[in-house]
Formats: sequence, C-alpha cells, structure tokens
Amino acid sequence: MSDPPFDPKPMLRVLQEHEVAFIVVGVVAAVAQGSPIPTRDLDVTPSPAADNYGRVASALRDLDAKLRLPDGSGLAFPFEARYLAGNTAWTLITRFGVLDLVYQPAGTRGYDDLRRQAFEVDLGTGKPVLVASLLDVIRMKEASNRLKDRAQLPALRQTLEVIREQERRS
Amino acid sequence: MISADLLKEARLRAGITQAELGRRVQRSQSQIARWERGDVKPSLETLRELIRACGLELGFELANYDDSYVPDIVDNLRVTPAERLERSVAWVNALRPWQAAFEKARHV
Repeated sequence: MSDPPFDPKPMLRVLQEHEVAFIVVGVVAAVAQGSPIPTRDLDVTPSPAADNYGRVASALRDLDAKLRLPDGSGLAFPFEARYLAGNTAWTLITRFGVLDLVYQPAGTRGYDDLRRQAFEVDLGTGKPVLVASLLDVIRMKEASNRLKDRAQLPALRQTLEVIREQERRS
Repeated sequence: MISADLLKEARLRAGITQAELGRRVQRSQSQIARWERGDVKPSLETLRELIRACGLELGFELANYDDSYVPDIVDNLRVTPAERLERSVAWVNALRPWQAAFEKARHV
C-alpha cells in the first residue's frame, strides 16, 4: 500500500498550532542543513514533559494519524497522552505522509540532550522550528547502526565537511 | 575539523562532559575543548585514544575517494533551509510513479 505524497510542511504547521515542543531530527533535519539525501518521512523528537503528551495527542488527531503497519497501511489508534507516554517510538501515517515520533533517538538522551545544539529555522511554515544539529543527526545515524542509516553517513559527513570548509573560509 | 567533530560526536554519544573525558585521558578540560573547537588537531593516535575513552572505537577503512555529493551540497547551501526542504520533497514525490510501477512489477 502506498503512502500519501510526502508533505512535511503541513505536519510541522499542525504541530506548531498545537504548541508541541519538538525538535526535527533525521533526514529532514539534515536536508535543512544542505544534505542531498532525500526522505519520505518526517522524524521528530517531542519533549517528554508531562503537558506535552497531551499537545502531541491532539496534534496527531488533527493530522488523522494512524499506526503505520509494515505493509504501509494505517491502523486506527486512540491517541491520548497516557498511551503516548507508554512508548518511546511511534511510526505513524498521516494525511501528509509518514511521521515518526522518536522520544529517545539512538545515541542520545532525547529532547533535552538534542536541545543544546539544536537551532531555530523556518522550514516554510512561517514560524521557526527547532532542528537538530547535523552533528547530532550523524550521532544518531552512527548509533542506530542500521544499514539504511549507515548508507546515509557518507553524504551527511561530506555535508558537515563542506559546511566547516565554508565556515573556515568566511 | 574532522577530528573536532568526531571527538565531540563520540563524547556526546557517551554522554560525558569535557571534564570527565579529560579525567579519563588525564588531560585538562580546556585541552579537550581546544580539540573539539578545532583550535588544535590531535594526532590520529591521540584521537583514537580519546574515542576509546568514550567507549567507542575509531574504525579504519581505505575506500576510493568520492566527492560526488559535493556539487549538490554546495548548491543546497546557496538556498534557504525552506527551499532545501521544498526541493527534496519535490524530488521524492516526483519519484513516486516510478516507485509504484517498480512495486507493481515486483509483485506480478
């Protein structure tokens, strides 16, 4: 079963409208910093603060989020704060494509850890979002040790090198 | 900056402070900070020692040099983050018909 066309901007906008505290991680964060590797899903790390679970839940309802099954289909699920708090990773399908909530990405201690090096940037929603640093994206990909992630590392490291070179020259 | 970024990545992955890493390798916190900022470059042997002190191993591999991503990266860095995302999404969605056709052919 095929996912709907990937459109991360409305997903980000809904999360912002519901005042969710989150950091964009994964390939979208890398793309925002110049990486040439494309992706079909938006990965975010929400804050695990107690009041944030409720905001995430209402945003997910607004996005018509469903649990994404391995065949790509969606399974309806009653998103509520108490259920979200019981799991650290959620793979979801929404009206705008795949959304992964990763409360503790590999190699990190989650939101507060990533927050230190994250920076604010407008990804087209008209309001800045927090994006994980490229170094942290690399840290997560290295630590996850999945073949898919390892394959992305040369492009991510090369992006970091080009950025450093440009910084050095300026 | 490669050694600086690698060292910082390893330390953050280990979840330790510069002071703690310094204690483990018997160097000062300020020395660790200089390496992480790229003010001073550690030797390869020192870098390996530092990364081991983070509980990680620096792997070695001789691969063919490949800078084929660089033109795309440089091009991406000329536009705003929102435009980079826009381009990436357009590219992914443009490939959907081909992916669908491939999937269909695979299941025939």
